[in-house]
Amino acid sequence: MARSALVVTALCAAFALYLLVGRYPRPGLTPPLRFFTDETARRLLVNVRLPRALGATLLGAVLGGAGAAFQSVFGNPLVEPGFLGVSQGAAFGAALALVLGAANPNIVALSAFFFALLALRASLALSKAFRFGGQVLRLVLSGIVVSAFASALLAFVKYAADPLSQLPDITFWTMGGLVAMGWGRLLGAAPVALLSLGGLWLLRWRATVLSLDDEASRALGARPELERGLVIIVATAGVAAMTAVSGIVSWVGLVVPQAARTLVGADARASIPASMAMGAGFVLLCDGCARSLLPGELPLGVPTALFGALSFALLLASRRTAVAR
Amino acid sequence: MSLELVSVSFAWEGAGERARRVALSDASLALEPGRAIALLGPNGAGKSTLLGLASGRLAPISGSALLDGTPLASWDRRALARKLAYLPQVERLPFNYPALDFVLLGRAPHVPALALPAAADYARAKAALEDLGLDALAERPVTELSGGELQLVRLARCLAQGAEYLLLDEPSTMLDPANARRLADALRRLVARGRALLFTTHDAPFAAFAADEAALLKDGSLVALGPAHAVLVPELLEATFGLPFKDASFPTVFHV
Repeated sequence: MARSALVVTALCAAFALYLLVGRYPRPGLTPPLRFFTDETARRLLVNVRLPRALGATLLGAVLGGAGAAFQSVFGNPLVEPGFLGVSQGAAFGAALALVLGAANPNIVALSAFFFALLALRASLALSKAFRFGGQVLRLVLSGIVVSAFASALLAFVKYAADPLSQLPDITFWTMGGLVAMGWGRLLGAAPVALLSLGGLWLLRWRATVLSLDDEASRALGARPELERGLVIIVATAGVAAMTAVSGIVSWVGLVVPQAARTLVGADARASIPASMAMGAGFVLLCDGCARSLLPGELPLGVPTALFGALSFALLLASRRTAVAR
Repeated sequence: MSLELVSVSFAWEGAGERARRVALSDASLALEPGRAIALLGPNGAGKSTLLGLASGRLAPISGSALLDGTPLASWDRRALARKLAYLPQVERLPFNYPALDFVLLGRAPHVPALALPAAADYARAKAALEDLGLDALAERPVTELSGGELQLVRLARCLAQGAEYLLLDEPSTMLDPANARRLADALRRLVARGRALLFTTHDAPFAAFAADEAALLKDGSLVALGPAHAVLVPELLEATFGLPFKDASFPTVFHV
């Protein structure tokens, strides 16, 4: 319990810090009193920093929570929310819309969301068609196939893209970023993301039951294939919705659940909520760096991959993750 | 009130042109609360198949498998899991859950969908650990337990399930004599308190100690079924396994 309180406190602190960090009136922290006296600062806070902070929070919570849920129901600490082709599908959808000349970012987001779900659908269908291995292995294999297929399509679209105007947009999109996160986009993605978070919250003990071998969970009255499919769909819908407005943000869904398990234990009752909170804090921190470290905006995927890969290595080397295989 | 297999047969569907492989033919067996039956036989004789049919994981191609007079296939999964606990021979441990949380998973058929285990479920899980003398292990990660401790903790999960019928697949495999004795003692206590027990084993002394009845399987057929002292005798064991058996091969750990 003490550790949960610590995680929540850290998240609140990260959120508050995020609202203060920026380049107005000068690079560094905006003095809090300024929001009461300076109209520009107040508008900046309400119209730019607050929706972006909420977007970063939701994105991190969805990625962390989905990652923890995936790792639990697959009984495997190395799967992450994008592994069923969702990330690559979304990237292809966004790139396609950009190349076809969609000027409205909402159309790009919708296209990304649509192709992310299409990739998920294809992975699930393919895993049922495979005649090799158990459900987990078949899903992993079909995820690899669909990801590779979507990557090839993405490469083709990039090849066809205008190298001066469209290619930079596509590249930036595939590296993620919250620069365009205003109230409109946030409110567009939030309902699906919140439903997904709520669903995972309710399913969190079930996710622990499903982490057992199929034979063992079946003996406990569960329907592992069916219930695992439900968790996957609930988790992926949220990831697809947030990815559509943020681009691909890697490593969060893989590394945050590992850290959460070392802190609060492996039982998904604790590790799913902790991964949501820690994912949110991690993305707030990374996005804070992405928008304030350099004069220009750094793609969000750069700090998440940098810090993510480093902490992943440290966590695995610390031996406290203690997984059986 | 019993678990009954009435002339059940089972065959694995052969792929392509290969013929169906009969794994069990025309086996009958009845298990009642307060009784324990040990299943012995060579590898591939049909022990696991019989356990699969008795637990409802496999459906017989002929004959019937009934629990309280109702075919197992007609039971609701969760209701069946509250009545009958099946323990696979081995299972992969996905994460380093503390033993108590691991045993708590046995409450799954009792906890409503989308809910969390309640205080009463914790109490049942703790009681199951205490029952087997494992209180001291409650906070230990399951991944750090010894083979014997883990087997007992997994049995505790079956007890937390609250099931009347316990079906165990080779529970004593990989246990040293002391841990096998500990497990056998625990099983005897459970049967004395009214649980019904059906388990497979390769260990005749363990079977004779933990069960009052024994069944011998060979090539998919039940060749002997009766009181353990009448079935687990050198002549029948020799006929079943094709090896000489001596009374002297029973280790003293199982002499009462």
